[in-house]
Amino acid sequence: MHELGLVIQVIKTVEKYMKENKLSTVESIVLQVGQLSEVYPKYLKDVYPIAVEDTLLKNTELIIEETAGIGQCDDCHFNYNLVENSNECPVCSSKKFSIISGKEFLIKELHAY
Amino acid sequence: MEKIRIIEIQKRVYANNDEDAKVLRKELQDNKTFMMNLMSSPGSGKTTMLVNTINRLKDQLKIAIIEADIDSDVDAYTILNKTGVTVNQLHSGGSCHLDCGMAKEGLEDIRYKDFDFVVIENIGNLICPASYDLGQALNVLILSVPEGDDKPLKYPKMFTKVDCLLVSKIDTLSVFDFDFMALETNVRKLNPTIQIFPISAKTNEGMEAWCNYLVEKIKQFKKADFK
Repeated sequence: MHELGLVIQVIKTVEKYMKENKLSTVESIVLQVGQLSEVYPKYLKDVYPIAVEDTLLKNTELIIEETAGIGQCDDCHFNYNLVENSNECPVCSSKKFSIISGKEFLIKELHAY
Repeated sequence: MEKIRIIEIQKRVYANNDEDAKVLRKELQDNKTFMMNLMSSPGSGKTTMLVNTINRLKDQLKIAIIEADIDSDVDAYTILNKTGVTVNQLHSGGSCHLDCGMAKEGLEDIRYKDFDFVVIENIGNLICPASYDLGQALNVLILSVPEGDDKPLKYPKMFTKVDCLLVSKIDTLSVFDFDFMALETNVRKLNPTIQIFPISAKTNEGMEAWCNYLVEKIKQFKKADFK
Protein backbone atom coordinates (compact mmCIF):
# COMPACT_ATOMS: atom_id res chain seq x y z
CA MET A 1 0.00 0.00 0.00
CA HIS A 2 2.48 2.62 -1.17
CA GLU A 3 -0.12 4.60 -3.12
CA LEU A 4 -0.59 7.24 -0.40
CA GLY A 5 3.08 8.21 -0.61
CA LEU A 6 2.80 8.39 -4.39
CA VAL A 7 -0.31 10.56 -4.29
CA ILE A 8 1.48 12.94 -1.92
CA GLN A 9 4.34 13.16 -4.46
CA VAL A 10 1.81 13.95 -7.19
CA ILE A 11 0.24 16.70 -5.08
CA LYS A 12 3.63 18.25 -4.23
CA THR A 13 4.68 18.20 -7.88
CA VAL A 14 1.42 19.77 -9.11
CA GLU A 15 1.41 22.43 -6.37
CA LYS A 16 4.95 23.37 -7.29
CA TYR A 17 3.98 23.53 -10.96
CA MET A 18 0.98 25.73 -10.11
CA LYS A 19 3.17 28.20 -8.21
CA GLU A 20 5.85 28.30 -10.89
CA ASN A 21 3.32 28.84 -13.67
CA LYS A 22 0.92 31.04 -11.66
CA LEU A 23 -2.10 28.79 -12.13
CA SER A 24 -5.00 29.62 -9.82
CA THR A 25 -7.11 26.50 -10.22
CA VAL A 26 -6.54 23.00 -11.48
CA GLU A 27 -9.83 21.36 -12.45
CA SER A 28 -8.33 17.95 -12.99
CA ILE A 29 -5.08 16.01 -13.04
CA VAL A 30 -4.56 13.24 -15.55
CA LEU A 31 -2.22 10.48 -14.45
CA GLN A 32 -0.92 7.83 -16.78
CA VAL A 33 -0.47 4.55 -14.96
CA GLY A 34 1.00 1.52 -16.69
CA GLN A 35 -0.21 -1.99 -15.93
CA LEU A 36 3.37 -2.95 -15.09
CA SER A 37 4.12 0.07 -12.89
CA GLU A 38 3.40 -1.64 -9.53
CA VAL A 39 0.82 1.11 -8.86
CA TYR A 40 -2.87 0.29 -8.47
CA PRO A 41 -5.34 2.86 -9.83
CA LYS A 42 -8.04 1.76 -7.37
CA TYR A 43 -5.84 2.56 -4.37
CA LEU A 44 -4.76 5.87 -5.90
CA LYS A 45 -8.43 6.82 -6.18
CA ASP A 46 -9.15 5.62 -2.63
CA VAL A 47 -6.45 7.66 -0.91
CA TYR A 48 -6.65 10.75 -3.11
CA PRO A 49 -9.54 12.56 -1.30
CA ILE A 50 -7.73 12.28 2.04
CA ALA A 51 -4.41 13.38 0.60
CA VAL A 52 -5.76 16.55 -1.05
CA GLU A 53 -7.48 17.90 2.09
CA ASP A 54 -5.87 21.22 3.08
CA THR A 55 -3.99 21.50 -0.23
CA LEU A 56 -4.47 23.68 -3.33
CA LEU A 57 -5.98 20.61 -5.00
CA LYS A 58 -8.87 19.97 -2.62
CA ASN A 59 -11.43 20.49 -5.41
CA THR A 60 -9.35 18.92 -8.17
CA GLU A 61 -10.56 15.77 -9.86
CA LEU A 62 -8.19 12.85 -10.37
CA ILE A 63 -8.39 11.14 -13.74
CA ILE A 64 -6.42 7.96 -14.34
CA GLU A 65 -5.53 6.62 -17.77
CA GLU A 66 -4.23 3.10 -17.77
CA THR A 67 -1.74 1.93 -20.34
CA ALA A 68 -1.45 -1.71 -21.30
CA GLY A 69 1.57 -3.82 -20.44
CA ILE A 70 2.85 -4.73 -23.88
CA GLY A 71 5.89 -6.86 -24.57
CA GLN A 72 7.65 -8.00 -27.71
CA CYS A 73 8.54 -11.65 -27.96
CA ASP A 74 12.33 -12.05 -28.13
CA ASP A 75 11.95 -15.13 -30.35
CA CYS A 76 9.22 -14.35 -32.92
CA HIS A 77 8.95 -10.56 -32.35
CA PHE A 78 5.17 -10.65 -31.91
CA ASN A 79 3.77 -7.86 -29.70
CA TYR A 80 1.29 -9.01 -27.06
CA ASN A 81 -0.35 -8.04 -23.77
CA LEU A 82 1.88 -9.45 -21.03
CA VAL A 83 -0.78 -9.40 -18.30
CA GLU A 84 -3.49 -11.15 -20.32
CA ASN A 85 -1.06 -13.78 -21.59
CA SER A 86 0.81 -14.34 -18.31
CA ASN A 87 4.11 -13.29 -19.94
CA GLU A 88 3.89 -16.08 -22.55
CA CYS A 89 3.85 -15.36 -26.28
CA PRO A 90 0.46 -16.48 -27.73
CA VAL A 91 2.12 -17.25 -31.08
CA CYS A 92 5.21 -19.27 -30.24
CA SER A 93 4.83 -19.84 -26.45
CA SER A 94 8.23 -18.28 -25.71
CA LYS A 95 8.56 -16.74 -22.25
CA LYS A 96 11.34 -14.38 -23.30
CA PHE A 97 10.19 -10.83 -23.98
CA SER A 98 11.21 -7.19 -23.84
CA ILE A 99 8.82 -4.66 -22.33
CA ILE A 100 7.55 -2.05 -24.79
CA SER A 101 5.05 -0.19 -22.64
CA GLY A 102 3.25 -0.36 -19.32
CA LYS A 103 5.91 0.75 -16.83
CA GLU A 104 5.00 4.44 -16.96
CA PHE A 105 3.74 6.38 -14.00
CA LEU A 106 3.39 9.97 -15.15
CA ILE A 107 1.51 13.14 -14.47
CA LYS A 108 0.33 13.42 -18.05
CA GLU A 109 -1.57 16.69 -18.08
CA LEU A 110 -3.38 19.30 -16.01
CA HIS A 111 -6.68 20.90 -16.91
CA ALA A 112 -6.25 24.35 -15.44
CA TYR A 113 -6.88 28.05 -15.64
CA MET B 1 -15.01 32.77 -16.74
CA GLU B 2 -11.55 32.00 -17.94
CA LYS B 3 -11.14 29.23 -20.43
CA ILE B 4 -9.75 25.96 -19.24
CA ARG B 5 -6.39 25.05 -20.68
CA ILE B 6 -5.01 21.58 -21.02
CA ILE B 7 -1.37 21.61 -20.07
CA GLU B 8 0.70 18.61 -21.01
CA ILE B 9 3.39 18.16 -18.45
CA GLN B 10 4.47 14.51 -18.78
CA LYS B 11 6.29 14.65 -15.49
CA ARG B 12 7.43 11.56 -13.69
CA VAL B 13 5.73 11.27 -10.33
CA TYR B 14 9.08 10.65 -8.68
CA ALA B 15 10.60 13.81 -10.21
CA ASN B 16 10.08 15.90 -7.06
CA ASN B 17 11.88 13.38 -4.88
CA ASP B 18 14.60 12.98 -7.50
CA GLU B 19 15.28 16.72 -7.42
CA ASP B 20 15.56 16.71 -3.62
CA ALA B 21 17.90 13.73 -3.86
CA LYS B 22 20.13 15.54 -6.34
CA VAL B 23 20.55 18.44 -3.88
CA LEU B 24 21.22 16.13 -0.94
CA ARG B 25 23.70 14.03 -2.95
CA LYS B 26 25.67 17.18 -3.76
CA GLU B 27 25.73 18.20 -0.07
CA LEU B 28 26.97 14.76 0.93
CA GLN B 29 29.64 14.84 -1.79
CA ASP B 30 30.84 18.30 -0.75
CA ASN B 31 31.12 17.07 2.80
CA LYS B 32 32.71 13.73 1.82
CA THR B 33 30.09 11.75 3.71
CA PHE B 34 29.48 8.41 2.01
CA MET B 35 25.84 7.38 2.40
CA MET B 36 24.71 3.82 1.78
CA ASN B 37 21.04 2.91 1.34
CA LEU B 38 20.50 -0.62 2.62
CA MET B 39 17.36 -2.40 1.47
CA SER B 40 15.87 -5.88 1.92
CA SER B 41 12.84 -7.84 3.09
CA PRO B 42 12.10 -8.03 6.81
CA GLY B 43 14.19 -10.72 8.48
CA SER B 44 16.94 -10.96 5.86
CA GLY B 45 19.65 -10.30 8.43
CA LYS B 46 20.27 -6.59 7.76
CA THR B 47 20.98 -5.72 11.37
CA THR B 48 23.28 -8.72 11.99
CA MET B 49 25.20 -7.96 8.80
CA LEU B 50 25.50 -4.29 9.80
CA VAL B 51 26.79 -5.06 13.28
CA ASN B 52 29.45 -7.37 11.80
CA THR B 53 30.42 -4.80 9.12
CA ILE B 54 30.58 -1.87 11.57
CA ASN B 55 32.82 -3.78 13.98
CA ARG B 56 35.26 -4.46 11.14
CA LEU B 57 35.37 -0.84 9.97
CA LYS B 58 34.79 1.36 13.01
CA ASP B 59 38.50 1.81 13.79
CA GLN B 60 39.20 3.30 10.37
CA LEU B 61 35.96 5.22 9.70
CA LYS B 62 33.61 7.47 11.65
CA ILE B 63 30.32 5.60 11.24
CA ALA B 64 26.69 6.46 11.96
CA ILE B 65 23.57 4.40 11.36
CA ILE B 66 20.08 5.63 10.63
CA GLU B 67 17.51 2.94 11.34
CA ALA B 68 14.14 3.29 9.66
CA ASP B 69 11.21 1.24 10.80
CA ILE B 70 7.48 1.61 10.82
CA ASP B 71 7.64 1.40 14.61
CA SER B 72 9.87 0.36 17.57
CA ASP B 73 13.57 0.89 18.23
CA VAL B 74 14.78 -2.68 18.81
CA ASP B 75 17.24 -2.60 15.90
CA ALA B 76 18.69 0.74 16.98
CA TYR B 77 19.39 -0.64 20.48
CA THR B 78 20.91 -3.82 19.07
CA ILE B 79 23.32 -1.82 16.93
CA LEU B 80 24.15 0.63 19.70
CA ASN B 81 24.81 -2.14 22.24
CA LYS B 82 26.87 -4.30 19.90
CA THR B 83 28.96 -1.61 18.19
CA GLY B 84 28.84 1.63 20.19
CA VAL B 85 28.49 3.80 17.06
CA THR B 86 25.97 6.65 16.73
CA VAL B 87 22.48 5.37 15.88
CA ASN B 88 19.39 7.37 15.06
CA GLN B 89 15.95 5.79 14.84
CA LEU B 90 13.49 7.10 12.27
CA HIS B 91 9.84 6.12 12.29
CA SER B 92 8.10 6.23 8.95
CA GLY B 93 4.68 6.38 10.63
CA GLY B 94 3.24 3.50 8.66
CA SER B 95 4.78 4.39 5.31
CA CYS B 96 6.41 1.45 3.53
CA HIS B 97 9.47 3.33 2.27
CA LEU B 98 11.67 6.33 3.01
CA ASP B 99 11.76 9.34 0.74
CA CYS B 100 14.58 11.82 0.43
CA GLY B 101 12.96 14.31 2.84
CA MET B 102 12.89 11.71 5.62
CA ALA B 103 16.49 10.68 4.90
CA LYS B 104 17.55 14.32 5.14
CA GLU B 105 15.86 14.72 8.52
CA GLY B 106 17.64 11.63 9.79
CA LEU B 107 20.98 12.92 8.51
CA GLU B 108 20.52 16.35 10.07
CA ASP B 109 19.56 14.80 13.42
CA ILE B 110 22.90 13.02 13.67
CA ARG B 111 24.84 16.02 12.26
CA TYR B 112 26.09 13.88 9.38
CA LYS B 113 29.00 16.21 8.71
CA ASP B 114 30.84 14.54 11.60
CA PHE B 115 30.82 11.16 9.83
CA ASP B 116 32.67 9.44 6.93
CA PHE B 117 30.16 6.66 6.46
CA VAL B 118 26.41 6.74 7.10
CA VAL B 119 24.14 3.77 6.52
CA ILE B 120 20.41 4.22 6.17
CA GLU B 121 18.68 0.97 6.92
CA ASN B 122 15.51 1.34 4.83
CA ILE B 123 12.10 -0.14 5.66
CA GLY B 124 12.05 -3.93 5.11
CA ASN B 125 10.30 -4.19 1.75
CA LEU B 126 11.43 -5.14 -1.77
CA ILE B 127 8.95 -2.91 -3.63
CA CYS B 128 8.67 0.83 -3.03
CA PRO B 129 12.11 1.64 -1.55
CA ALA B 130 13.40 0.93 -5.07
CA SER B 131 11.50 3.93 -6.45
CA TYR B 132 12.92 6.57 -4.11
CA ASP B 133 16.38 8.03 -4.59
CA LEU B 134 17.66 9.14 -1.17
CA GLY B 135 20.82 10.82 -2.44
CA GLN B 136 22.94 7.79 -1.53
CA ALA B 137 26.38 6.99 -2.95
CA LEU B 138 25.68 3.25 -2.90
CA ASN B 139 22.51 1.15 -3.06
CA VAL B 140 22.88 -2.24 -1.42
CA LEU B 141 20.32 -5.03 -1.30
CA ILE B 142 20.35 -8.07 0.96
CA LEU B 143 18.60 -11.26 -0.08
CA SER B 144 18.77 -14.14 2.37
CA VAL B 145 18.96 -17.77 1.30
CA PRO B 146 15.65 -18.74 3.01
CA GLU B 147 13.79 -16.17 0.85
CA GLY B 148 14.54 -18.16 -2.31
CA ASP B 149 16.40 -17.71 -5.59
CA ASP B 150 13.26 -16.59 -7.48
CA LYS B 151 13.06 -13.13 -5.89
CA PRO B 152 14.67 -11.28 -8.85
CA LEU B 153 11.81 -12.61 -11.01
CA LYS B 154 9.19 -11.38 -8.56
CA TYR B 155 10.69 -8.00 -7.64
CA PRO B 156 12.65 -7.02 -10.75
CA LYS B 157 12.72 -3.28 -10.13
CA MET B 158 14.64 -3.60 -6.87
CA PHE B 159 17.29 -5.79 -8.49
CA THR B 160 17.81 -3.34 -11.34
CA LYS B 161 18.28 -0.39 -8.97
CA VAL B 162 21.05 -1.65 -6.73
CA ASP B 163 24.83 -1.51 -7.10
CA CYS B 164 25.53 -4.47 -4.89
CA LEU B 165 23.70 -7.61 -3.75
CA LEU B 166 24.60 -9.44 -0.56
CA VAL B 167 23.27 -12.99 -0.47
CA SER B 168 23.05 -13.51 3.27
CA LYS B 169 22.72 -16.56 5.55
CA ILE B 170 24.84 -18.50 3.06
CA ASP B 171 25.62 -20.94 5.90
CA THR B 172 22.04 -22.27 5.55
CA LEU B 173 22.47 -23.19 1.87
CA SER B 174 22.48 -26.94 2.58
CA VAL B 175 18.99 -26.93 4.14
CA PHE B 176 17.18 -24.84 1.50
CA ASP B 177 16.50 -25.45 -2.19
CA PHE B 178 18.40 -22.35 -3.18
CA ASP B 179 20.18 -22.43 -6.54
CA PHE B 180 22.93 -19.81 -6.33
CA MET B 181 23.76 -20.11 -10.06
CA ALA B 182 20.10 -19.58 -11.02
CA LEU B 183 19.95 -16.52 -8.78
CA GLU B 184 23.09 -15.08 -10.31
CA THR B 185 21.79 -15.67 -13.85
CA ASN B 186 18.43 -14.05 -13.06
CA VAL B 187 20.05 -11.06 -11.37
CA ARG B 188 22.63 -10.45 -14.10
CA LYS B 189 19.93 -10.51 -16.75
CA LEU B 190 18.33 -7.54 -15.00
CA ASN B 191 21.51 -5.81 -13.94
CA PRO B 192 24.72 -6.80 -15.76
CA THR B 193 27.05 -4.60 -13.67
CA ILE B 194 25.86 -5.64 -10.19
CA GLN B 195 28.38 -6.86 -7.60
CA ILE B 196 27.28 -10.01 -5.80
CA PHE B 197 28.75 -11.22 -2.49
CA PRO B 198 27.61 -14.39 -0.73
CA ILE B 199 27.96 -13.74 3.00
CA SER B 200 27.23 -15.13 6.43
CA ALA B 201 27.46 -12.62 9.24
CA LYS B 202 27.29 -15.57 11.63
CA THR B 203 30.23 -17.63 10.32
CA ASN B 204 32.01 -14.58 8.80
CA GLU B 205 32.12 -16.25 5.37
CA GLY B 206 32.41 -13.62 2.64
CA MET B 207 32.41 -10.71 5.09
CA GLU B 208 36.00 -9.75 4.34
CA ALA B 209 35.41 -9.57 0.57
CA TRP B 210 32.29 -7.45 1.10
CA CYS B 211 34.06 -5.07 3.51
CA ASN B 212 37.04 -4.71 1.16
CA TYR B 213 34.67 -3.76 -1.65
CA LEU B 214 32.89 -1.26 0.61
CA VAL B 215 36.10 0.36 1.88
CA GLU B 216 37.36 0.67 -1.70
CA LYS B 217 34.09 2.40 -2.70
CA ILE B 218 34.38 4.81 0.25
CA LYS B 219 38.03 5.58 -0.60
CA GLN B 220 37.14 6.31 -4.24
CA PHE B 221 34.28 8.55 -3.10
CA LYS B 222 36.50 10.51 -0.72
CA LYS B 223 39.14 11.01 -3.38
CA ALA B 224 36.72 11.96 -6.14
CA ASP B 225 36.30 15.51 -7.28
CA PHE B 226 32.57 16.07 -7.84
CA LYS B 227 32.72 19.59 -9.19
